[in-house]
Amino acid sequence: MAEKTVRTGWDLKRGHDAATKWTPTPDWRSAAIVRSSWSARPLHGLGQTLLSGDLDAARAALAPNASEAGLWQVAEGDALVRIARDRALLVTARPLSAPAGWSPSGWATSAADDAWAVIELAGESARAVCAQATSADLEAGSPSAALLFAGVTCLLYRTAPETARIHVERGFAPYLWRWLETVEG
Amino acid sequence: MQLFSCPFCGPRDETEFHFAAEAGKTRPEPAGEVSPEAWSGYLYAKSNPGGPSREIWQHVTCGEFFLMERDTLTHEVAGSKALRGQRP
Ligand SMILES: [Zn+2]
Repeated sequence: MAEKTVRTGWDLKRGHDAATKWTPTPDWRSAAIVRSSWSARPLHGLGQTLLSGDLDAARAALAPNASEAGLWQVAEGDALVRIARDRALLVTARPLSAPAGWSPSGWATSAADDAWAVIELAGESARAVCAQATSADLEAGSPSAALLFAGVTCLLYRTAPETARIHVERGFAPYLWRWLETVEG
Repeated sequence: MQLFSCPFCGPRDETEFHFAAEAGKTRPEPAGEVSPEAWSGYLYAKSNPGGPSREIWQHVTCGEFFLMERDTLTHEVAGSKALRGQRP
């Protein structure tokens, strides 16, 4: 019996797996890029909570010690990673168990622990790698850590002078990882 | 490549921005009494000046809409201004 052909622009056959067209997703448990002057690895298990509204009040209630991070700024420990005037991503060592929704004191939380994938770039060339991904002036002190990084919206800040963190929407993480793999040096 | 300035984030690559509208357009109200011609004019008619212009742009990565004054012939940006109150 002749195999039935599904009529599409690609003339796909029944049972065709379109996923094979795409670059395979890295195995995040073992993924690592190691070069002589920089390295990249995925970070797992961080708490990520989207905050809206009165960010100072939200920080005081949820993570009083969190330091605010704009673009390329250094935040050690818990970080209030600024996205917009009234929006930030609170990054903590472990997921918070804060209830989602509005607080009467003017702020709201949305649990986003798995919404972004987190990639750490470390080494003396980490800055040079980031400079290939954006034309934003990393030292200009932009208060928002959100930027187009290699063409996709990311959050970029540091946790130490030569250690950068990139948060990227999880669906774009395989692309961004493959992009990093193409960076030489 | 050109730099635009978001009133919150500062100078960023033009690729982070989207044009939103010409400045000064007010949505006709109340909706139930607006003629199709007036509504169409609000949505589609643009003055499209050649020279100095006032436009609403969005900085997509932070989401902010703001006013930008620029020259559509020389591409020179005169300045940008927030459309909302600053966080104190
Ligand atoms: Zn902005």
